Amino acid sequence: MNAIEIIGLTKIYFSSGGRKKVEALKDVSFEVATGSIFGLLGPNGAGKTTLIKIILGITHPTTGTAMLLNTSIDNYFIRRKIGYLPENHKYPTYLTGVEVLKYFGQLAGAEPTSLKKKTDELLELVKLSNWKKNKIKTYSKGMMQRLGLAQALINDPEIIFLDEPTDGVDPIGRKEIRDILADLKAQGKTIFLNSHLLSEVELVTDRIAILNKGVLLKIGSVTELTEKKEEYKISVDAENLIEEIASSGRSFHLKPQKINGGYSINVSGDEELNLFIDFLRSKNYLIKEIVPLKSSLEDLFINIVNESEKGMK
Amino acid sequence: MLYTLREAFARKVFLFFMIISGLILLTEIVIFSMVDTEKIIASLNSTGDPLMRGQIIEKIELAVYSFITSLLLLLAIFASASFVPNMLEKGTVDLFLSKPISRSQLLLGKYFGGLLVVFINISFLILGMWLLVSFKFSYWDFSFLSTILFIVFTFAVLYSLLVFFGVLTQGSTAGMMIAYFIYIILSPLLAQAYIQIDVWTENKIYIYLVKGLYYIVPKTAELLGTDAINVVTGAGIDDYQPIITSFLFLILMLGFSIVLFRKKDF
Ligand SMILES: Nc1ncnc2c1ncn2[C@@H]1O[C@H](COP(=O)(O)OP(=O)(O)OP(=O)(O)O)[C@@H](O)[C@H]1O
Ligand SMILES: [Mg+2]
Repeated sequence: MNAIEIIGLTKIYFSSGGRKKVEALKDVSFEVATGSIFGLLGPNGAGKTTLIKIILGITHPTTGTAMLLNTSIDNYFIRRKIGYLPENHKYPTYLTGVEVLKYFGQLAGAEPTSLKKKTDELLELVKLSNWKKNKIKTYSKGMMQRLGLAQALINDPEIIFLDEPTDGVDPIGRKEIRDILADLKAQGKTIFLNSHLLSEVELVTDRIAILNKGVLLKIGSVTELTEKKEEYKISVDAENLIEEIASSGRSFHLKPQKINGGYSINVSGDEELNLFIDFLRSKNYLIKEIVPLKSSLEDLFINIVNESEKGMK
Repeated sequence: MLYTLREAFARKVFLFFMIISGLILLTEIVIFSMVDTEKIIASLNSTGDPLMRGQIIEKIELAVYSFITSLLLLLAIFASASFVPNMLEKGTVDLFLSKPISRSQLLLGKYFGGLLVVFINISFLILGMWLLVSFKFSYWDFSFLSTILFIVFTFAVLYSLLVFFGVLTQGSTAGMMIAYFIYIILSPLLAQAYIQIDVWTENKIYIYLVKGLYYIVPKTAELLGTDAINVVTGAGIDDYQPIITSFLFLILMLGFSIVLFRKKDF
């Protein structure tokens, strides 16, 4: 089943009195399966925030629509089952941590009877218990982000939208947030994540989509998208390996390329890899390291975005 | 709605109002204790007629009333102008709009919340004033308390304007300027012009223009002036038109605000 269905969303912003037109989203469609963690990636201004804002009724789509839990987003009651951490969220600064959760919990339709208990639980979860009675104007950026996460969970939502949740959070805090997300997933919640911190997304998401200038470029699981043909990095002390292969008269499919500290080779299979090792050993080269190369999400991201930019020109 | 009260508390709106009210009441006490009021009344009321005495006390009440209402309304507008813009601030509006509440409910919640804040504060001051005067003269006339309704209603009309411009501009300045302009200049001016325009000019276009404008602009001057005074003195309201047209203005403004708010992207 799909928790989120996005159906042909297009959003055109008109600014400076209608003279300037920005197509923030261009006919975007995709689904997010119930109980999964989904990451939406894209450079600044790609339209990630716009997409979430449309789904949550903060901005109106130009055309297209979306469904949450099989209910149209035009029905605002469905937001009772939704949690949201906006980017650059700002709470009334005169409230304390507890009051923020109480206030927005009430607005979100949380059960009044369980609200107090839930508030304490969540503040414990995001490690703000010691600060709960302090006014939030005294909070640091990372603390605000944790509070925002707690606020997004206050009504025990089925779907949680997080716009740059780790923004301004230190590495330990990020790890904690990742653990919280994994925990939520284990409870069967669906999580929709906006981020440009690719190394983080890689660690938690089941599926990702890449968005650039309002266009959905790619969608799939992280392993699917980052998988590469067999390629290895071999570290070996050899000055003129490429010439030596050429003069040896042996024809490998591989085309070794010099990279820092060694060579990278493409092989057609394990057999060829071993043949190449035999060759190196026959020349008495010392092999120091053989590492399979996998393109990182970052490489993928940069490649896809660059290609699409070229395509647009 | 209750959180607007909370907001008002937190932003020290209440404290501010209470201090001002306290100062006003204190001044009244000081004046009353320094001046021998009975002597003044006696000098104005040579026959000692008790009916006359009541009228004079009413006059005193009304003199204080007209002095403080203008001050009160200026303060109320100032304090409430930012309620809506605060909710619409970037980063905050996302939180409100993503909740399972319709936009009209959100806006009306802010509207009635603000109204409640002002109602409580104004009641406090008027009640205090009235108690002082009543004790001082041992003269109890409850009709003076009806001014609370007039002030709150006048504020409600102006507040609908503040809400509208708050949604339109997402700031508090424009609404505040226009509300002040209507309250201080336009409404008193139009109330005068409406009566005298036929004397001033024979040009039909001007006459229609002024009269048209008179009906459109909320009649804060009359609401707080003749209407309130007539009720206090027991004369009764002879013309309900200012109340009705101002109320229509309020409904229209709120209606526009809701339509605009629902259409807007944030
Ligand atoms: N209210 C608005 N009015 C006009 N244009 C807007 C508005 N909001 C966003 N845009 C434009 O829409 C495009 C997408 O913006 P959006 O905020 O969705 O990007 P994003 O992917 O979230 O970027 P970031 O990673 O920086 O948060 C941008 O070009 C932006 O300038
Ligand atoms: Mg964004």
